[in-house]
Amino acid sequence: MLQQVNVNIDGAIIRATRGTSVLDAAVEYGICIPHLCHVPYLSDIGACRLCVVEHVVNGRSNVTASCTLNVEEGMVIRTNTDRIRKLRRNLAELLVAQAPNSRAIQDIAVRCGVRQVRYSFRNDDCVLCGRCVQMCTEVWKARAIGFVGRGKERHVDYPFSVRPDFCKQCGSCVQLCPMTIPPCDGPMKPGEEYLCLKCESQLMLADETPDHCVWCKLGEGFACGRYVQ
Amino acid sequence: MPSQTLEQILEGRRSQPHQLIEVLQDVQASHGYISEEAMQVVSQGLGVPIMEVYRVASFYTAFRLKPSGKNVLTMCMGTACHVRGARLLLDQATGQLGVGPREVTPDGLFSVDHVNCLGACALGPIVTENGTYHHHMTPGKLRKLINTLSLQKAEVQ
Amino acid sequence: MPRLNSFRELEHLRESLRGQRHVITTTVMVCGGTGCQASQSRAVIDAVKDELSTQGLSQSVRLCITGCHGFCEQGPVMIIEPGNIFYCHVSPGDAFEIVSQTVVRGEVIERLLYTDPVSGEKIQTESEIPFYHSQDRQVLSQNLMVDPCSIEDYIAVGGYSALTKALYNNMAPEDIIGEIKSSGLRGRGGGGFPTGRKWSECREAPGDEKYVICNADEGDPGAYMDRCVLEGNPHLVLEGMMIGAWAIGAGKGYVYVRNEYPLAVEHSRLAVEQARELGLLGDNILGSPFSFDVDIARGGGAFVCGESTALMASIEGKVGEPRAKDVHTVVDGLYHKPTTLNNVETWANVPSIILNGSSWFAAKGSEGSKGTKILALTGRIKNTGLVEVAMGTPISTVIFDIGGGAIDGNKIKAVQTGGPSGGCLPLDKFDLPVDFDVLYEAGSMVGSGGMVVMDESSCMVDVAKYFLTFLQDESCGKCLPCRVGIDRMLEVITDITEGRGRPEQIDLLEELAETVSQTALCGLGKTAPNPVLSTLRYFRSEYEAHISEKKCPAGVCKALITYWIDPDKCPGCGVCIQGCAHQAITGGKQQVHVIDNQLCQKCGICRSECKFDAIQII
Repeated sequence: MLQQVNVNIDGAIIRATRGTSVLDAAVEYGICIPHLCHVPYLSDIGACRLCVVEHVVNGRSNVTASCTLNVEEGMVIRTNTDRIRKLRRNLAELLVAQAPNSRAIQDIAVRCGVRQVRYSFRNDDCVLCGRCVQMCTEVWKARAIGFVGRGKERHVDYPFSVRPDFCKQCGSCVQLCPMTIPPCDGPMKPGEEYLCLKCESQLMLADETPDHCVWCKLGEGFACGRYVQ
Repeated sequence: MPSQTLEQILEGRRSQPHQLIEVLQDVQASHGYISEEAMQVVSQGLGVPIMEVYRVASFYTAFRLKPSGKNVLTMCMGTACHVRGARLLLDQATGQLGVGPREVTPDGLFSVDHVNCLGACALGPIVTENGTYHHHMTPGKLRKLINTLSLQKAEVQ
Repeated sequence: MPRLNSFRELEHLRESLRGQRHVITTTVMVCGGTGCQASQSRAVIDAVKDELSTQGLSQSVRLCITGCHGFCEQGPVMIIEPGNIFYCHVSPGDAFEIVSQTVVRGEVIERLLYTDPVSGEKIQTESEIPFYHSQDRQVLSQNLMVDPCSIEDYIAVGGYSALTKALYNNMAPEDIIGEIKSSGLRGRGGGGFPTGRKWSECREAPGDEKYVICNADEGDPGAYMDRCVLEGNPHLVLEGMMIGAWAIGAGKGYVYVRNEYPLAVEHSRLAVEQARELGLLGDNILGSPFSFDVDIARGGGAFVCGESTALMASIEGKVGEPRAKDVHTVVDGLYHKPTTLNNVETWANVPSIILNGSSWFAAKGSEGSKGTKILALTGRIKNTGLVEVAMGTPISTVIFDIGGGAIDGNKIKAVQTGGPSGGCLPLDKFDLPVDFDVLYEAGSMVGSGGMVVMDESSCMVDVAKYFLTFLQDESCGKCLPCRVGIDRMLEVITDITEGRGRPEQIDLLEELAETVSQTALCGLGKTAPNPVLSTLRYFRSEYEAHISEKKCPAGVCKALITYWIDPDKCPGCGVCIQGCAHQAITGGKQQVHVIDNQLCQKCGICRSECKFDAIQII
């Protein structure tokens, strides 16, 4: 028997099943919390931190990732305070400065309110979201790719950098990767990176319509699980 | 540390995935580094997927994936050593030997390594060379040490 | 030795060991810790052993190789009882004199005595030395009494009597936890979490299988107190773990020792074997219903493995990547079982609390921080070493009374406390006490107890850069704010130290620091900005000098300094010309030498070799 609990998210009392994450409960209800490394059918590792929310406990607000926080009876969550929006914006700014040549990453940055980037642009072709690794490990159980190295050296690789024969080339890793689609105007020249700002931040509408969900588009081929066609 | 074969290292630990790090420690101590072949054998022996073995071996700095030089010079980069000029020592070693940190010289004689605190802080800056601790090091003393070690190899040859 | 099946058998063994030691007239204690070993104490030990044998004194004189005494700079260190005579910088060649004069005739050898750096006087006994005098060495003093490789020593001085009391003296597990709670003991590894509360939560967590772990990963650079205690007195730590395991209901324990401490690994392994042999580990310990065993696990060279969830992952044979702690490890820890993880020093304090009572422990220290704390006092100070003081002692007492103050006539500027998670406090804050909450409010923390003293030759911006470099190297890399945030903070600070700083970068640093500290997944990331934030708070003027004047006041940041030879001091000896690896110095014999700044790489060799103090940094 699945236990149901009541959770307060941004003032809305939501009924959710015990064992679900706050992120899943919110998105299911229609409150969109931006996220990158979360995929509905894969476990959450809490790597991108974009889904941070305020968890109010004993009058104090703790900032925590909503994908790894499970719902409990009487929980109070705030997803869209000034503090959260600023943190989210700063995180997205760091993200897009690392890897600007991706439509999905630029979308996320704009949606999270980034207008200027105060760091030098780099041109990483991987943002280490872990979607590919999770897919290969959990769904296909092939374990043909994984995270290797530590810190700045962390990257996704095959064992010994050679594709093993137990990789069946299913292509799932490529399908889930946010880096596969360049920005609308094509890849940018080094030194001339910018945010096109054409994908409007749906979150800005939240200012005008509080407590209403804004349907976020994360770029084609990178759909938010709630709106699977 | 006497050299052990992979068989000896895996003895009593077969099919126990949680022993992975201990096993790799023993391989590192016995063979000086962890080769691809060793990782395959360990993967089979412990029942840990090869991707996971590779992942663990590449995560921890105790494990080298390539053979090290004959003389391993390790600079302590702890705070106490740092305020006594440890940075200058690392620059001296890499400059004099022409290799970056964690690299081996082309003749295989030296590797330069650094570690974040050996716990002998009162005696810093510390450089260890093949297990021997040299304390209160200066760039000048280090230069002499490297020269002495180079000459030793030349004499043996 | 035969297995002990009851606490009476333990007492009998203790008495018989003490009886055996009655024939000992003199004890010579030589420090065998890592620090003194680096100063060749092993050779001293061998020489004294040989000399005692030659003079036929091996039966009546006990040569005890002890754990670290904490005064590493003076090593090799030797103490002779009776008389409490303290010798420092002992070399193997001194063995004959020491045995013939001091051991046999009780005569003191002047030249081996410690010279007080302030008064210039020779001091005879260990207890009179100011460095030791102002301390309260509750845990550390026990190092002097035992050979860490001998369980007999530990039992002879009273070891494992706290365990007996816990098992047999009408103390229920809840009473033990109650004692730890009333004592006010807080975690000594950095978190400062109330130990009694942790044990209580773990005891109450559902499940029959529970674990206790000793965190000996001591990754804070500049901190080595855990090494000292574990190397020097492993049984003390084991006894603490046993008492804890009994109180919590755990049947298995691990000591997780970092890879860089081979001696600590060796001594703990030996201690576990010896305890097993006597039946102090295993089934039905001392005839009680308590069964408990311990294994030693080694780290792989990762600072992040000091974080509890990463440490547990490492014991499980996985990469040391922390996980979200919304569910606490006391409920869901090692192998998803309730686990109590405590630091070495925390465990080491447990036996004395059980033996002497919680009020004894709580009588020392301040309101919120009870008992004593071991600090690793290092850096630009006269007396470096391990220091144990009552909590609540002012930092100035530690640095000036115990530490002896500045070296080389420099002026002390700051003290860095708490390792990479802590912060830097300026001179005018030295009246603050060593107290968990007070230091936290001031922007630093007690942390594991590392205290690195800095003087005018330390650049505070460079110190912040040093810690960021360290943390970047040690970050597991999983989460964005830590992996990228620290990298970008380092990028900004590097700009500042290399003369490319802009005023708006200070605001950027602060905003980025705030973001990282609030959004990072684990403690490493969350506290990573602390060195930056505390140096900005107290030493902003140094940042501003780097940015607006493109100057490094302390003379450290290479891009902003120049090496210069003072023509008034240079006698033209040629030593620096020979030493320079970049042919940057010119000048004939007995002519003033000149440095070509285009070629100079600021490696520092010339300055370290010049005997006339003629080379300066401007």
